[in-house]
Amino acid sequence: MDAWGALLDAFSLPFMSRALVVLLVLSLVAGIVGVLVNLRGLEFISDGLTHAVFPGIAIGFVWGGREGLFAGAIVAAVLTAIVLAVLMRKAVPVDAAIAIVFTAMFSIGVIVVSRQTNYVGQLEQLLFGRLLTISVVEVVQTIVICAIALLLVGVTLKEQLFRAFDRTGFSAVGYRPFVLDLVLNVAIALVVVAASSAVGTLLVLAVLIVPGAVARLVTVRLWLLFPVAAVFAAVAAWLGLSLGYVASVGAGINLPSGATVVLVLVAGYALALVGRLLLDRLRAPQPRPAAVL
Amino acid sequence: MNENDSQPRTAAPLALHVAGASFAYAQTPALEDVAFDLRAGEAVALIGPNGSGKSTLLKGVLGLIHRTAGTVEVLGESPAPAGAVGYVPQADELDPEFPVTLEQVVMMGRYRSLGWLRLPGKRDRAHVAAALEAVGLSERARTRFGELSGGQQQRGLLARALASGPRLLLLDEPFNGLDQENRNALVDTVKRLKADGVAVLISTHDLELARDVCESVLLLNGGQVAFGPLDEVLSLENVQRTFRSVGVELDEHTVVVPSHTGH
Repeated sequence: MDAWGALLDAFSLPFMSRALVVLLVLSLVAGIVGVLVNLRGLEFISDGLTHAVFPGIAIGFVWGGREGLFAGAIVAAVLTAIVLAVLMRKAVPVDAAIAIVFTAMFSIGVIVVSRQTNYVGQLEQLLFGRLLTISVVEVVQTIVICAIALLLVGVTLKEQLFRAFDRTGFSAVGYRPFVLDLVLNVAIALVVVAASSAVGTLLVLAVLIVPGAVARLVTVRLWLLFPVAAVFAAVAAWLGLSLGYVASVGAGINLPSGATVVLVLVAGYALALVGRLLLDRLRAPQPRPAAVL
Repeated sequence: MNENDSQPRTAAPLALHVAGASFAYAQTPALEDVAFDLRAGEAVALIGPNGSGKSTLLKGVLGLIHRTAGTVEVLGESPAPAGAVGYVPQADELDPEFPVTLEQVVMMGRYRSLGWLRLPGKRDRAHVAAALEAVGLSERARTRFGELSGGQQQRGLLARALASGPRLLLLDEPFNGLDQENRNALVDTVKRLKADGVAVLISTHDLELARDVCESVLLLNGGQVAFGPLDEVLSLENVQRTFRSVGVELDEHTVVVPSHTGH
């Protein structure tokens, strides 16, 4: 009772409600985009994107402060999304090339930030986010970026699913996979950008990948995947934020909110995995079936 | 039916016209100098060993790979008119864990004519139901695609191609590893499509099948070995030239080629 009351009070604090709004918007969109990441097997590419966006964020931050952060990130993200779509056109495996380019870009970001006076503090904020000090302007920016990502995926959703299921059949009826790859990459990149101020560029990967993976464990029904992933992500976000608040206010333990949200996501995945394994075991045929007929 | 049925079959319009066509992946030539015609309501069997260019030719007709020379016309047009060509890939190239039902896979065949942003409506669902009916899988509509047997998956992909109402159908090794029941179902469907005026191009290792459903045969081995009416083209000499080192037996009625199941 008191805990609930304390939580309701908590979200009436402006910084907590801003954090909640950002996280809810982010998790809904990341959940939906994340289902496509899962169906296409783009986890590695997404990881690469989070690294590649970092120098953009760093340069934007150095150039224009916190207001320049999003601009720099979007430029880097869209550029990277295009390069990736071009690389994915080639049939040859490009994992090594992607890994090399992205870690190089990440290093550039670190060097850019290290030239700042308050190096450690800045780097930490960029990598791990600063959920509780998000400004109203940043909330609006996050919502706009998420809305664009959602629009990109929404407009192409049935085609994205067709392409994910059967690339050859998809091109055979006259679609161009390159266009769809580009759209999806840009959407992923935008989610990475949107999440960078809230949970940081490193933790965004969990927000992008875990909800989709959970949805795959929970259902095999195509159109249920999206609401399941989005709702799971939103619940985890709310729970993580609440836990962080309760721990720091109630118990005096200072839990970084971004990381807490990620751990709640991962715990949810572990639960879903155990549940799925148990269900499969229950449904599996018995080792000694009764006589047939 | 037409009262005046004395017209010869060859008067049927050309569904596919290929002349002097060569195809290449990047800079590597894959198939050279192919020429054949396929008329509405007829079927051509593409026969050749693995790597002989059967899939290359199908992809070339679809415009998925680069044509370096010659002509490919579908219904007299190049590139093919939108929606005219249906393609049935090999089912075993698809992820069996993908969370789609058979019905949803078949609906994908409607997407192109639906266009972006529009969701399938009553008419599309009717086309899907008809396509499932045509391949005899209506009762499996709600089954997850990956839970179907290999043969049923193959028929499901045929239904997806049919849902778009194609005039030319390309089948890539549709009979690989099929049991008798699925094979018969597929043969029946192809025969019915031909009766409806659909032209069919089938790549296969199965000469028996070619005899069952095709009027003509195109023998491939990196290039065209022979093309023509089935009985003329399937000579011992031609088949030996096509399958070179592979042992071939040929008697009056059957051609026996060691199976190339590939798996």
